[in-house]
Amino acid sequence: MIQVEKLTKRYGATLAIDALNFEVQRGEVVGFLGPNGAGKSTTMRILTGALGATSGRALIGGVDVYERPREVKQLVGYLPEAPPLYVDMTVRSYLRFCARLKGAREPKVAVEQVIERVGLSSVAHRLIEHLSKGYRQRVGIAQALVHEPKVLILDEPASGLDPAQRKEIRDLVRELADGDTTVVLSTHVLPEVEAICDRVIIIRDGRIVASDQLASLGSDATAIRLTVARPDDTLLPALRAVEHVDEVSREAEGRYRVRASADVREQVAAAAVPFGLLELSGQQGLEEVYLQLTGGET
Amino acid sequence: MKVFHIALREFGSFFATPTGWLVLAGYLFLTGVFWTYMVESYVLQSQDLVYNPAAASMLNLSDYLLAPFYGNCATVLIFVLPAVSMRSFSEEFRQRTMELLATSPVSTYEIVAGKFLGAMGFVSVMLAVSLYQPISLLQWGEPEVGVLLGSYLGMVLLSSLVLSLGLLISSFTSSQLVALVLTFAACLVLMVLDWGAASPDAWNARLALSSHLGDLFSGAVKLSDVAYFLLGSATCLFATQQRLESFRWS
Repeated sequence: MIQVEKLTKRYGATLAIDALNFEVQRGEVVGFLGPNGAGKSTTMRILTGALGATSGRALIGGVDVYERPREVKQLVGYLPEAPPLYVDMTVRSYLRFCARLKGAREPKVAVEQVIERVGLSSVAHRLIEHLSKGYRQRVGIAQALVHEPKVLILDEPASGLDPAQRKEIRDLVRELADGDTTVVLSTHVLPEVEAICDRVIIIRDGRIVASDQLASLGSDATAIRLTVARPDDTLLPALRAVEHVDEVSREAEGRYRVRASADVREQVAAAAVPFGLLELSGQQGLEEVYLQLTGGET
Repeated sequence: MKVFHIALREFGSFFATPTGWLVLAGYLFLTGVFWTYMVESYVLQSQDLVYNPAAASMLNLSDYLLAPFYGNCATVLIFVLPAVSMRSFSEEFRQRTMELLATSPVSTYEIVAGKFLGAMGFVSVMLAVSLYQPISLLQWGEPEVGVLLGSYLGMVLLSSLVLSLGLLISSFTSSQLVALVLTFAACLVLMVLDWGAASPDAWNARLALSSHLGDLFSGAVKLSDVAYFLLGSATCLFATQQRLESFRWS
């Protein structure tokens, strides 16, 4: 449904995204992960046609975003980082405007359906100005959905929502994906990704550092913390010699941290026993992968 | 069709903000005051001339009431129109709603046309309400209809030019205040451009607003004057469209 080939965007001298390549299948939910400023929003804005790429191309439903923007925009529903709301309008009149602007077939019916769907019935007659942040975010999502787009691009859809509202959004996204809508979303919240995405694309400094099914990404990476009673100079090489170990660092006297691309707790334990192993704990999952790949700390 | 929806939203937004109502009230109040005083002084003048038939025959509605009155109206318009156009794009930038228009299946031409028509619609309402002035005159006097039509055409053309200029300027700033001040300044420059012009044919006299309004307000509709306003508006609107298009390449 979405094909991106060597997509590059420069802002003056800074390279925002650097030759991105990826594909998203129909009905798939893909999460964009990465630190702030990694290029997530830029990529999304190019996909929606709001921003032109410096080079490379993006196709949505086989249509080139640059060559035929109007057709692409008809296919795409987009929620920007800041929901684009006219605060002097009521929720209903704002959504009617959006529906007409985006060419929904029966604007009035579509608006009532989307109001129902994202749970805005109780505030439909109120001015957007007077709504809480959570409701505003929902109006933003409603705006992206109102013309029943085939592709939904959501830039941090869960920001500003409380846990119950987040769950509602998650359920909504899942429901849409089951109905054959393709969803691309970005988020900082890792459990969010684990809960709704089929696949994650991790971006760092404008490059894709990982793109894989969630199951295979999450299971292998391991971080092991261990404490030994008698550390000496041969400990570090011994730990590094264990297969799949990428990095060993000393956190304090006798305390080490091992990062590995596979579950090697047993092997590390075996290597550490001669040095008087006192304690060993392993941490696995997406968070570990994310931290390793983006080189960041939480 | 989408132009119409954008225009309608824009039009509606004027009535949803205090600015719109203030502009409407301000224009109608000021021109109403002018109207009252000028009609009154015209009546007094004609009463004074009852025993002076020669001078009385010189006095006519077009030259002694309508031309100066609509001259004043044009000045008031130049004060209030920048307040109509100031929010058009500035507010979209500030509220970050431009993203909605930019990602909807509409072209930048449609966006600019919609904004322009919405603002023109609002000004048309304002001018339509002010029609009580010529209508009352038609009721109790015998004004030249051509002068009235020319004056209204002149005001519509003036509005179109000032609003287009205002749209262009507001597409450069996210501050309504900056848009307001710059648009007003640009209008003033256009107004005073012919001061000290060497001749009516000098370039600055030809570019000035006032030299193109005078004939319209006396009921003489000349192609060159109409073309001045229409071309000026079209140029500004096209520049605005280019400006919007340039955001994709920022």
